[in-house]
Amino acid sequence: MPTAFVFTQYFYGLKIVSGRSMQPTLNPDSSLWRDVALFDRFSIYAKQKYKRGDIVALKSPTDPNRILVKRIIGLEGDIVKTLPPYPDPEVTVPQGHAWIEGDEPFHSNDSNQFGSVPLALIDSRLVLVVWPLNRFGHLLNKPMQPRNVESGNRSDYRLAMAELERERWRNSRVVTFHRKIDTERS
Amino acid sequence: MSRWIANALNALKDPNAVKFGLKRTGIRGFKLINMFCAIHLFTEYVGRPSTMAGPSMLPTLATYGEIVIEDRITYRLNPSSLSRGDLVTLKSPVNPSHIICKRVIGLPGDIVCVDPTGNKAPSSEHVVIPKGHIWISGDNAANSRDSRDYGPVPISLIQARLYARVWPLKDSTIFRNPTRIVE
Repeated sequence: MPTAFVFTQYFYGLKIVSGRSMQPTLNPDSSLWRDVALFDRFSIYAKQKYKRGDIVALKSPTDPNRILVKRIIGLEGDIVKTLPPYPDPEVTVPQGHAWIEGDEPFHSNDSNQFGSVPLALIDSRLVLVVWPLNRFGHLLNKPMQPRNVESGNRSDYRLAMAELERERWRNSRVVTFHRKIDTERS
Repeated sequence: MSRWIANALNALKDPNAVKFGLKRTGIRGFKLINMFCAIHLFTEYVGRPSTMAGPSMLPTLATYGEIVIEDRITYRLNPSSLSRGDLVTLKSPVNPSHIICKRVIGLPGDIVCVDPTGNKAPSSEHVVIPKGHIWISGDNAANSRDSRDYGPVPISLIQARLYARVWPLKDSTIFRNPTRIVE
């Protein structure tokens, strides 16, 4: 039994996602159930790999008992264009922090409310959606190119294009920080 | 020795014995892994000894060579027991892989003077600590990177409370909260 607990703490665990802040990626209005997703703790605790565009679960900075599921928009050094109600129009993410946002900007308690969050608050990374079954495996392969969708299915194409548009809009609001690679020296 | 080898070779001839031997090894291995996991869970959630390093908590903690006991369970069971003056270990807000040890100065809602000496901020600058955050400070203010540099930190970063120092033996003490409220 301790082995199973350690497994979910350090490797993978299933979590139920509730709330509207990640629509339409997670918990869309078309779904009757709250999404259940597989979260990966190993890449955060052991490998410490944080990537822009990853959906992550993190402890809320304003309420220590709450866990939020949001997307990493910017990492340290990036200049991010913020959304209301954040007071400044642009913000540089400080060292060791990240800018996180929910996909639904009007119903999201995210960095636009409380600013950059320390990377140490991030708990796990979403790997794939497990339930409901018609969206199983969603978000596993990214990014979804409209070319890959069969041309016969109109609504799938439109949904894929909409997702691509949202991703482009998110990326357009971030100026990424280019670090000098250490191998260039000496 | 040769008798042991002969016995082992005889045992190998019987297929059931090999299966039984493997099953026993498998179960023992699983029990060993289980024990490691249980010990690990204890050290993560209840308490554990750990070494301290760095000059930012002088004179409370020395620069190197000390071992203290961290108490991880008090803040989990009773989060409201966090009080001003507690020695806590927390994950660093500027580097997620570092663990730092500082003292809690302010709780959410408090108004804190950032730096009375005026070194890192004008001595009249005050900050209201937002909800869910605390203000931390090293005891050796001259040589400590703390909330005067990076502002209030979220309470969720706290890992443990320091309970006592156990090494060196002549300096072993239980850490008590030294706060005095001055009216």
